[in-house]
Amino acid sequence: MLQADLTIILPEILLSVYAMIALLGAVYTGKDALAPMLTWVTAAVFTLLAIWIGISGEGAQSAFGGMFMDDGFARFAKVTLLLSAAAVLVMSQEYLSRRGLLRFEFPLLIALAVVGMMMMVSAGDLMALYMGLELQSLALYVVAAIRRDSVKSTEAGLKYFVLGALSSGLLLYGASLTYGFAGTTLFSGIVQTATEGHVSLGLLFGLVLIACGLAFKVSAVPFHMWTPDVYEGSPTPVTAFFATAPKVAAMGLFARVLHDAFGGAVGDWQQVIAILSLLSMFLGAIAAIGQTNIKRLMAYSSIAHMGYALMGLAAGTAFGVQALLIYMAIYVTMNVGTFAFILSMERDGQPVTDIKSLNMYSKKEPAKALAVLILMFSLAGVPPLVGFFGKLYVLRAAYEGGLAWLAVAGVVASVIGAFYYLRIVFYMYFGEESDEALDGGKSPILWGFLMASAALMVLGVVNLFGIEGAAAAAAATLVN
Amino acid sequence: MDTGGNFLPIIAALPFVGALIPGVMIRAGRTACATYTFMASALAFILLMLSAPAVFRGEVLQFQLEWLPMLGLNVNFMLDGLGLLFAGLILGIGMLIILYARFYLSREDPMGQFYTYLLLFQGAMVGIVLSDNILLLLVFWELTSLSSFLLIGYWKHLPEGRQGARMALTVTGLGGLAMIAGMLILGSIVGSYDLSVILQHKELIQASPYYLPALILILAGCFTKSAQFPFHFWLPHAMAAPTPVSAYLHSATMVKAGLFLMARMWPVLSGTPEWFYIVATTGLITMVLGAVIALFKDDLKALLAFSTVSHLGLITMLLGFGTEAAAIVAVFHILNHATFKAALFMSAGIVDHETHTRDIKRLGGLRHLMPVTFVIVTIAALSMAGIPPLNGFLSKEMMLEEASHTAWLSNPWILPALATLGALFSVAYSFRLVAHVFLGPKRDDYPAKPHDPAFGMWASPAFLVVLVVLIGLMPNLIAGPLVDITAAAVTGGHPHAHISHWHGLVPAFWMSVAAILGGALFLSLHGALERGWNAAPRPEAKVIFDAITRASTRASHWLTDTLHNGSITRYGAIFAAAITAAGLFAWFESPMSAPTREMLPINAIMAIGWVLLVISTGCIIAFHRNRILSLVLLGVIGLAVSMAFVYFSAPDLALTQISVEVVTIILLLLALNFLPGRTPVESGMPRRLRDAVIAGAAGLAVGGLTYAILLRDFAAESISAYHLANSYKGGGGKNVVNVILVDFRGFDTFGEIIVLGIAALVIYALTKSVLRGPGGRWLLNWGPDDDEAGDRHPLMMVVVTRVIMPIALMVGAYIFLRGHNAPGGGFIAGLIVAIALLMQYMASGFAWAEERQRYHYHAMIAAGVMTAAVTGMGSWLAGRQFLTSSYGYIHIPPIEEFEWATAMAFDTGVFITVVGAVMLALHSLSSMSRRTGEQVNIHPMDVDPGRGAAPADGKEA
Repeated sequence: MLQADLTIILPEILLSVYAMIALLGAVYTGKDALAPMLTWVTAAVFTLLAIWIGISGEGAQSAFGGMFMDDGFARFAKVTLLLSAAAVLVMSQEYLSRRGLLRFEFPLLIALAVVGMMMMVSAGDLMALYMGLELQSLALYVVAAIRRDSVKSTEAGLKYFVLGALSSGLLLYGASLTYGFAGTTLFSGIVQTATEGHVSLGLLFGLVLIACGLAFKVSAVPFHMWTPDVYEGSPTPVTAFFATAPKVAAMGLFARVLHDAFGGAVGDWQQVIAILSLLSMFLGAIAAIGQTNIKRLMAYSSIAHMGYALMGLAAGTAFGVQALLIYMAIYVTMNVGTFAFILSMERDGQPVTDIKSLNMYSKKEPAKALAVLILMFSLAGVPPLVGFFGKLYVLRAAYEGGLAWLAVAGVVASVIGAFYYLRIVFYMYFGEESDEALDGGKSPILWGFLMASAALMVLGVVNLFGIEGAAAAAAATLVN
Repeated sequence: MDTGGNFLPIIAALPFVGALIPGVMIRAGRTACATYTFMASALAFILLMLSAPAVFRGEVLQFQLEWLPMLGLNVNFMLDGLGLLFAGLILGIGMLIILYARFYLSREDPMGQFYTYLLLFQGAMVGIVLSDNILLLLVFWELTSLSSFLLIGYWKHLPEGRQGARMALTVTGLGGLAMIAGMLILGSIVGSYDLSVILQHKELIQASPYYLPALILILAGCFTKSAQFPFHFWLPHAMAAPTPVSAYLHSATMVKAGLFLMARMWPVLSGTPEWFYIVATTGLITMVLGAVIALFKDDLKALLAFSTVSHLGLITMLLGFGTEAAAIVAVFHILNHATFKAALFMSAGIVDHETHTRDIKRLGGLRHLMPVTFVIVTIAALSMAGIPPLNGFLSKEMMLEEASHTAWLSNPWILPALATLGALFSVAYSFRLVAHVFLGPKRDDYPAKPHDPAFGMWASPAFLVVLVVLIGLMPNLIAGPLVDITAAAVTGGHPHAHISHWHGLVPAFWMSVAAILGGALFLSLHGALERGWNAAPRPEAKVIFDAITRASTRASHWLTDTLHNGSITRYGAIFAAAITAAGLFAWFESPMSAPTREMLPINAIMAIGWVLLVISTGCIIAFHRNRILSLVLLGVIGLAVSMAFVYFSAPDLALTQISVEVVTIILLLLALNFLPGRTPVESGMPRRLRDAVIAGAAGLAVGGLTYAILLRDFAAESISAYHLANSYKGGGGKNVVNVILVDFRGFDTFGEIIVLGIAALVIYALTKSVLRGPGGRWLLNWGPDDDEAGDRHPLMMVVVTRVIMPIALMVGAYIFLRGHNAPGGGFIAGLIVAIALLMQYMASGFAWAEERQRYHYHAMIAAGVMTAAVTGMGSWLAGRQFLTSSYGYIHIPPIEEFEWATAMAFDTGVFITVVGAVMLALHSLSSMSRRTGEQVNIHPMDVDPGRGAAPADGKEA
């Protein structure tokens, strides 16, 4: 019995063991001198695990009496987050090394965060949920403040920690209420108690508080306040990481809780999620207009994108979950490419984040400018790029889920939001010549990621690389 | 030849494939590049022509292929009359433009890039008009925005080119996104995204409550694309693009995409009052406004741009009428406008190319210098003015006819009058184009010496002008069948166009005469009118656009500055407010069951405790700036809470609470040493009031929730009964709480002591690293705010703590031993012992006490955890699971019978860990104060009667 359980969580175990051994090994040997190597090895481990999980798993099985689920949904989310984490690690190594920020703890903290995330998307129990969430969050708190000599970074990390702890507390409060009124922490047990029209006061409060806690993790408005500060204050690779894998994990967990545990009471949470979605889309779109710092801009952009992803969730249907998964996969791909570009933005060896520095970038680097143009259009959801299909999926899901008003609002928000993506393109193609232009940026790795991501945005229009089917299957395992 | 619809995807794909050619062929030379680009378009055109006969027979060619079926997105193409007209225009004029651009672009311009963009655009346009799936149509629609953006911005060095591209893309791009929503709604109403299906469901769509939103959103896309009022401003600004682009995009094709879509959707959307008033009114306003502005533009291309706006308005208005006859005219005018306007644009490009200026004020008298161009422009301009017998006359006459019997808000005069006015200005600017550029005296100050260009350059406009004349002379022969099938596709009926030069003395005739005469009159008064026009204040669209952009940026700044000013208190306030709101939602949403429990009676003691609690909480809020006072109040609250535990018969909890309370307060007191005595006031009264309201609301909400929950039963039975029943039987102890800690939930406790140990180690490590860093340097220079008390280690305190020490240790041992059966246990005992030791530190100083310390706290923590672990593992020897406890009774004379449980050993581990952890935390804090230069006292107390006189400062060197 234990044997079978352990086999199911073998990837998580391997990754944890790897992280701990590497941590101890590095402490007693080369410390920071090993950091570049550790970064690459960690990325390789992520990739191997992703491949393994991607090709091995079949069907749905659970471990430890249903506390841990290994189903299509979990595998889809895991592959997405492992690959994106690997990509971000590979992209960050050179950036951090050159600025003396690469500590050996960095890749290992990321590894621990990823273990937490894998746990999150597989959680079948409130305990497992909280454990995964906290493992992820604790690692992220540290990573957010990894640049200890920068006031901004430290401050951002501290704020993130304080608010994060608050939200964890809320979530825990919600979880205990849920337990109290459902009599079990297992999702499969809760779902039997929480059926439409019979959700008691305590259970509903539990649901709402859990939703609020998770909304913080996906940085949905009004629990998003930490996002711009942390995105701006952290070193760019950390920002890139924040914008990718944790979002997938938190969204995955969100979907899991709402469908696995509260799937019988869609009507009770649909409005909450719809409001979170609406606020996120609009605040993200409107607030980004005035931003000149590209990292802050991406923070608002990610808030808006989470709003769209939540729209899929708000639909409360299997198609909605499928839309959510597809949206997140596309979102992550776009963000990896965009951050590869932001990481390469520098002048005289110093990182630059002001979008004014992009003036007439197309003249200097036509290929990169074109790639960024594609990514920006894709982020804005302009057809025929892949980003459009993501939006189309969630909009349709919302419409068919009876939330036509939300779909229309989403389109309006995307119209507003398109403005600031396009502005970046304007600067690159039609800006004014200035002395403060960027240097070329020479890293072949970043160049490769940027180009690959842009190429995916174009080539993906053929059939979305078949993730449609995978996402549909994944969604089907979650929503019955 | 009957090919079905199999050619359709090839026609749509050919330009895209062709887009790859120029990049490769540019190395083979400019002509070769142009030739191959031309051939791609030509091939597509030929395939289209091969499909045409079937369309003329009335068939609708179709091609279907699934793309993303789950989304309803299919690669479905169809070709009917409307598609044929537009595809023919796009490909035909495209070929002419390719030829023209070969000669227009100079040697320095990257021609390969230009052709690539042009073909991309062409492919997107063909895709729009052939799509039989609205999602596919959307994809192509936005592709035109994208490729037109690249084309408009082709000349990057011109600042107005940048501005133009920016505005063009912003307006059309955003409109396109709005249209997505409209299309989605439309598709959802019908249940299919295939156009041919949607077009069958007029009643269903118009009866839907979502008809109006869908209509508005779709029209937003159409109007922005076709530069209809109030979005007309972007088109003239996009004219900075190279002339071939202006001719292709901004007269013949892209701006007509909006018209195409309105025509395409005409069967299902038109015929309602909403449609009429939105579309016809917009068209009318645009037509008149564009014509008026065009007359006063001095830039040749700007004049043509506004005239294009005006003509697009005219067609929109016709479509808006919603009648079959008007639709026929609209279709006919689309064809006519494309021919004469493209010719005019290309001619304007020729003038610009040869004279190096487009300013009408600097031109004139070109008649003799550029005779060929003169002829072309004159014919095209006369057609635009609506002079018989040219094709422009035919459609304009028909338009006036339609307008003359259409009432607007049941007023029969407004529409015909305004339409005539528009036509009048149209005549005026058309005449002006000819008169001010070509007629008049020859000048000697042209920026360059003008002459007619090479044949290749004027071949394209010449060809179009020939069409203008031919259609004008033989409309029914050349354009009739095409107009018929197109109109049939638009209206869904079988209309037949009666195109004729002479309709008799109908109102339209008089309107036309009035327009031509008035136009000529206006032109002769142009100088005076222009002065008036320039003097009159009028809104400049570009200024408004920029102002809107600026205002929205400001609004966005305001939003972000208000919400995200970096202050964590604000974040906290938003957080609290949001949670409270969410809670209220849950409260009102849930079906409230009746309370299942009775409220306990409130007695006097309880009430006093409650009042005490509330008062001290209130006091903390009031006095929290005085730190030591708030610490004291914190202690009061802690004690009140432990009293509550006592009241509810939970002595274990009470004991734990009291000891934890004491330890934390003492440690906090020590830490307080390094903090300023008071917290500075940072926020004003209104802010604090706001915070008070939010905090009060959140607190009341939590209180209310707790109250409501306490009155209701939980889902499952309480586990207490099980513990009560099994505590003695299974764990050998009468104190259920202790048995839970060391037995039932021993594993939890084991985890907890590990966490406690780690926490202490972390405090230690943190202090260490702080002391090494800047924090240590800061501490070195730190001095207390107030003077220190002279007697730091008073006699009384030292003596009392010494006396208490053995008693306290005894109490600790007692509490520890009785723990299994009566309130107490390792955790509480550990805290009591730690307090006893803490007192020694406080009385005689850290250094003095530490010198007498024999065991390392790290080792103590480790020993404690190990003891617990080993105890747990001991059960493996008995073949049982980790931490399974067992107990027995031994009799050691002369003591009574004694119970011996393995849980005792486990509890010892807990005890040692707790003592070690608390002391390590204390040690860490004390190392900080040592860093500040606190001197080490050698004697236990400052004033020792047994030692004689002490130094006055209480310290010894």
